[in-house]
Amino acid sequence: MSAMNQTLVLDGRKVELQQGDTILDAASRANTSIPTLCHDPRLKPVGACRTCLIEVEGSRRLLPACATPATEGMVIHTQNERVDRHRKTLLGLYLTDHNKDRNHGLGGAPNQLVAMAHEVGAPTDWGQLPSKRKANSEDDNPYILFDAEQCIACARCTRYCDEVESVSAITLAGRGSETTISTNDGLSLLDTTCEMCGGCIDTCPTGAMTERKAAAMQAPPEWDLKQVRSTCNFCGVGCQLNLHVDEAANAGRGRIIKVTSPPAGTTSNDGNLCVKGRFAYDFVDHNERLTTPLIRDKAGVLQPATWEEALAAISLGLAGVSERHGKNSLAFVSSSRCTMEENYLVQKLARQGYGTNNVHQCAAT
Amino acid sequence: MSAPTDPHSTIPDRLANAGGLKKGVARELSRDTGLHEADIYGVGSFYHLLARPEKRVRVCGGLSCQLAGSREILSACQAAGLPTEEISCLAACDRAPAVLRDRRTLPMVTIQDAERSGGKVEDLCSNGSESVWCGTIGPQEADAETLCLNLSAEPDWSGSAFNAASTMEPSALFDLIEESGLQGRGGAGFPAHIKWRAVADQAEQERYIVLNADEGEPGTFKDREILLRRPDLVLEGLAIAAAATGSSEIYLYLRGEFEVPGGVLAEAIQATTEAGRFPGITFHMHAGQGAYICGEETAMLEALEGKRGMPRLKPPFPVEIGLWNKPTLIHNVETIACIPGIVLQGGTWFKDLGRTEAGSKLYCVSGHVQNPGTYELPLGVSLDELVEAAGGYVGTLKAFSPGGASSGFLPASERGRALDFKGLGAIGSMLGSAGVVVLNDTINMRWAAEEQLRFFEEESCGQCAPCRIGTHYLHAAVKGGEEKSLGLTHVADVAWQMNEGSICGLGQAAALPLTSALKYFPEDFA
Repeated sequence: MSAMNQTLVLDGRKVELQQGDTILDAASRANTSIPTLCHDPRLKPVGACRTCLIEVEGSRRLLPACATPATEGMVIHTQNERVDRHRKTLLGLYLTDHNKDRNHGLGGAPNQLVAMAHEVGAPTDWGQLPSKRKANSEDDNPYILFDAEQCIACARCTRYCDEVESVSAITLAGRGSETTISTNDGLSLLDTTCEMCGGCIDTCPTGAMTERKAAAMQAPPEWDLKQVRSTCNFCGVGCQLNLHVDEAANAGRGRIIKVTSPPAGTTSNDGNLCVKGRFAYDFVDHNERLTTPLIRDKAGVLQPATWEEALAAISLGLAGVSERHGKNSLAFVSSSRCTMEENYLVQKLARQGYGTNNVHQCAAT
Repeated sequence: MSAPTDPHSTIPDRLANAGGLKKGVARELSRDTGLHEADIYGVGSFYHLLARPEKRVRVCGGLSCQLAGSREILSACQAAGLPTEEISCLAACDRAPAVLRDRRTLPMVTIQDAERSGGKVEDLCSNGSESVWCGTIGPQEADAETLCLNLSAEPDWSGSAFNAASTMEPSALFDLIEESGLQGRGGAGFPAHIKWRAVADQAEQERYIVLNADEGEPGTFKDREILLRRPDLVLEGLAIAAAATGSSEIYLYLRGEFEVPGGVLAEAIQATTEAGRFPGITFHMHAGQGAYICGEETAMLEALEGKRGMPRLKPPFPVEIGLWNKPTLIHNVETIACIPGIVLQGGTWFKDLGRTEAGSKLYCVSGHVQNPGTYELPLGVSLDELVEAAGGYVGTLKAFSPGGASSGFLPASERGRALDFKGLGAIGSMLGSAGVVVLNDTINMRWAAEEQLRFFEEESCGQCAPCRIGTHYLHAAVKGGEEKSLGLTHVADVAWQMNEGSICGLGQAAALPLTSALKYFPEDFA
């Protein structure tokens, strides 16, 4: 991004342009909010949801801010009678094809459409259409649920699956008012190339794509849960997680309802997670989870111990092997869950501490 | 991705060859092409000739076919055990009621035809009416000098117009087209010369020509007649356009239901190629797979690239970024067929053929008229003059659509108004494709509006909300029934939103049948 010494006029204010700006980019830098639903900075703009239409002088038609390049001298209006009427009537129309009482999805994610409609004062009394969108009710995958009624066919999920993950397990299917999201032949996601990353859930603006486990728990809305920032420990990448915790559950010990990524553009994982980070959190509350070191007693039964006792036992054992069989009789293998720093320490332990070059990392196959 | 290396563009054809989107087909094609199976499924599910392969008989549900009893034919076909569904206008309104058997359009099908089939698809109209057929053309005593297309004349394969154009500088040819006043005859009425110059002026040297023969606007069948009777004019016009704009590849997109016109055109292309009439120019035929929206030029480009036919955002326009992102000149069949006449007889000659605007024009007229057909008349005749050429009205005129479903309805009081681009636009209607449907006083306009909205709901591509939800909403509102609660109170707001918010012309115009019926015939909604 570089300054180009070009400007446009946004609601009467001059705004500096940067290389490659869309109108939405320029407006967002100028702290002018333009509503969007189908926009995700990770995806190519498609201008399909129509919420971001604004008026550009000289253009007969309203233009999508997300997909229109910002150019020198443009005069843009994001707030006037025409744009206001557009937003109200568009969102009013959306509500007729949507369950407008549902301000969050089945998995608890806020429904941005309903919130936006409320914010612009869209009419809510235009009646209710029966949804013609279908979902595969027999999809028995354990993680991802598609609630077709809440879908607005913005295709963020299918575009994410294609453009970010290169998986393309799902597609827009059908036509007209029956347009929906589907797999090939309506197969279960388990029978497709889907990797269960759940990115479709992450990008969905209305909660139509949602966490099946959270939905089964009849999750409370996200805004009623405590959000705890954590780092995923399934591998060394260090993806940032937001744990959504119901603090009152489990007799006050709390329970994770679901896991999401911080928003795209804020952390190194850029809004993305994999199946483990997003869905494999059940171990946290598992009754067999180890919470202290265990040492076998003389009878061979594991007994709880302190870290000091455990480290002493390890040290003694390793020294014994070295004495009886030599330093190269042992190899050190670190876990793929280790970070780079931890891997460094493992090889230091092997080479300097123990005296062998037999060291490996299990992900380095 | 460019044409020869793009496997995606072969998907619709591969799906058609596999017998449509049956279970397992997308996965199989995915193995063959390396493309994602869900993408292939998404494409197949978009096009109605692919999406429901079990249906092999499709009865036209257009207004003119309904006036001729198509719903009875539909019931008779179903009763006979034929796998039947309704389909949007088949471009055979002059020979109503029409039925599509696989890819073959059968004209004037009767209840007896359905009964005689004994439930066997192959035996539906196997009595000869399935062979090549043309519609009525006119006017009967026209002087050939007043006709640019002259559908009743024998094809002229001399190539004289192409040769004449070859001796001209492209800029002189563009001037000639400008002088002729030729406007796009697919519906928009856009000046042709602007598009030619725009393509020729692009820095990118790889350019394409696309023929829009996806004639699907309800009430329209003129392109079918041109393709059947004067394929010479179409190919020569395309070749002239290619040579003048620096292109050598021509893509001809015909709707999938045009099996017969497609056959005629394919033969003509083969003969033309063998005779070496247009050196250096290649014609590529492409059959649509059933979707009205693909007549929208950017949806057509998507379809040619083998994708779901969802219109692109404009700008950029196809003259700049078109097929495979290259500059592309797209013309309707009738527009391109005017080119040889203009080249041979001059711009002024063509211009003077028109009355209120330039040129002669093919008007399709059907519904309550004596001789439905295609009539070449000066651009700007009135409804009364057109219907006079078609033998007169049947019954008392109540309403008419001047240019397909998208033009809405006009009352009988507009019968003397010039049917041209500007004048009809001024009263909130349009000439569109000049598919004129005449309705007499036996017709309830609420019913007529409901049928048009049903059409638009089915044919909306579903990409943008104003159109996807708006067509559903208006259809449900005018239909009443289960969705009675909607009422007609909010129709004006919904229509405003569709016009303002939709990506393409379909959604922008789709409310017009209802809003115009409400405006001119409020008594039918009482």
